[in-house]
Amino acid sequence: MTANDRTRPAIEVGDGAAIPSKSDIGLFTAWRFAFFGALGLIVYLALAKPDPYLEILKFIPDGLLVTFKVTVGAILLALVIGLVAGLGRISSNRFINGVASLYVEIIRGIPLLVQLFYIYYALGRFVHVPDMASAIIAMAFCYGAYMGEVFRAGIQSIPKGQMEAARSLGMTKGQAMLHVIIPQSIKVVLPPIGNEFIALLKDSSLVSILAVADVLRRGREFASESFTYFETYTVIALVYLIITLFFSKLIGIMEERISAGR
Amino acid sequence: MKFVQRAVSLLALVGLCLTAAAPQAALAAGGRTITVATDATWPPMEMVDANKKIVGFDIDFMNAIAKEAGFTVKYKNTAWDGIFAGLSAGRYDAIISSVTITPERQKQYDFSDPYINIGQILVVPKTEGRVTRIADLVGKAVGAQIGTTGAFAIKKVNGVELKNYDEIGLAFEDMAAGRIAGVVCDEPTAAHYALQRAEYKAKFKIVGKPFTSESYGIVVKKGDKALVALLNKGIRAVKAKKIEDKLRKKWLR
Repeated sequence: MTANDRTRPAIEVGDGAAIPSKSDIGLFTAWRFAFFGALGLIVYLALAKPDPYLEILKFIPDGLLVTFKVTVGAILLALVIGLVAGLGRISSNRFINGVASLYVEIIRGIPLLVQLFYIYYALGRFVHVPDMASAIIAMAFCYGAYMGEVFRAGIQSIPKGQMEAARSLGMTKGQAMLHVIIPQSIKVVLPPIGNEFIALLKDSSLVSILAVADVLRRGREFASESFTYFETYTVIALVYLIITLFFSKLIGIMEERISAGR
Repeated sequence: MKFVQRAVSLLALVGLCLTAAAPQAALAAGGRTITVATDATWPPMEMVDANKKIVGFDIDFMNAIAKEAGFTVKYKNTAWDGIFAGLSAGRYDAIISSVTITPERQKQYDFSDPYINIGQILVVPKTEGRVTRIADLVGKAVGAQIGTTGAFAIKKVNGVELKNYDEIGLAFEDMAAGRIAGVVCDEPTAAHYALQRAEYKAKFKIVGKPFTSESYGIVVKKGDKALVALLNKGIRAVKAKKIEDKLRKKWLR
């Protein structure tokens, strides 16, 4: 066997890249398999056995809306709280630093479910906050602490030289932060913030304990009347899976766009 | 050294508990042991007392049945939401938890004979002046425990928003916080929260008379005829001996 007998070289050497880019991996990525599998399964179940599967699907849309509202409201509020907490954590002012650190340490040490109960029922004795608002506030309060750590890490990942360079150009500390450090750190913090978003979306199911009618609560209502526990929780699990997979893909695309603009 | 001492004494304690439990187990060997689930958040029918013991009308009643029919009961405190699913999954043999006998439930499970009759009743804050029935609360939210006949009753009224709670106590707490305008539950439970609880007495009132007539039954898995027969034998004996009246006086005034 001579070298000429080889019809195809073991390693392609030419103009193209040897390592396939992300989009070339093939049709059967785990994501596609999970997403379209779940979507297909839910459609199949609804068509094959309308009672109870289609009935369940018809029962939960308003719960879906509540889940979205809680998730989006909480994430926006958590971003604000997180940015403040993150900046507080790196502040050289001892008092601000202490308050921010205390907040992060306390919140991270208490389970979300306990915080929800606390803000809703315990504080409900003193301040009357509508249920949806208090669910959003409780979720945002909890996730704000985690976001704070993400922002802190993101800001600290920018080399010190950047700040020094900005200051030497005559910028104040605040200006340097706003125009030089934070824009750079956004790229760094975006992936972990995407993760937090997905985690918050899933954890929003905990607000069902506060009689807030989210997807899980709607499912439980359906199951408790029809006794179709297996079918209902199958649908609920698939619905959550489809939503989280959809958003993780969306976040992935966003990350790619932003890193491509580097 | 101290750690070793502690570990030894702990072991001794565990051993003591085991030997103490042994005669009890031998005693139970005479009759069948039946595991019964209850959601102990429904005073005065079933609740957890200050000593962490499950007590209430249903519990006393079940114990009386067990004594008459000759079996031993083991209680399992279970969340209401899923208490039926647990029975289907075989986690326990029966449920005694203020379960109303309804046609829908009878399709899925078997019931003992009814052991007490009760009705749903509406509780509102004292500030709600002219409310006489659920329909008077149109445009407002009314709470109930998820999957109860009280919740089903609210759902039937158009224009009233049903809020489902995991435990009835949370619904009353939410009404105290001003988030809902009424709570629907079984009459004895309503009386417990609205008339007996010190923190609610001044705030809540019961409206009118019960608007449903319901019977509680003990739930068993579909087709468990032997257990139904055993329970019914106990219920008949308890009723014949007038134990039920004593329990009514003790728990329901």
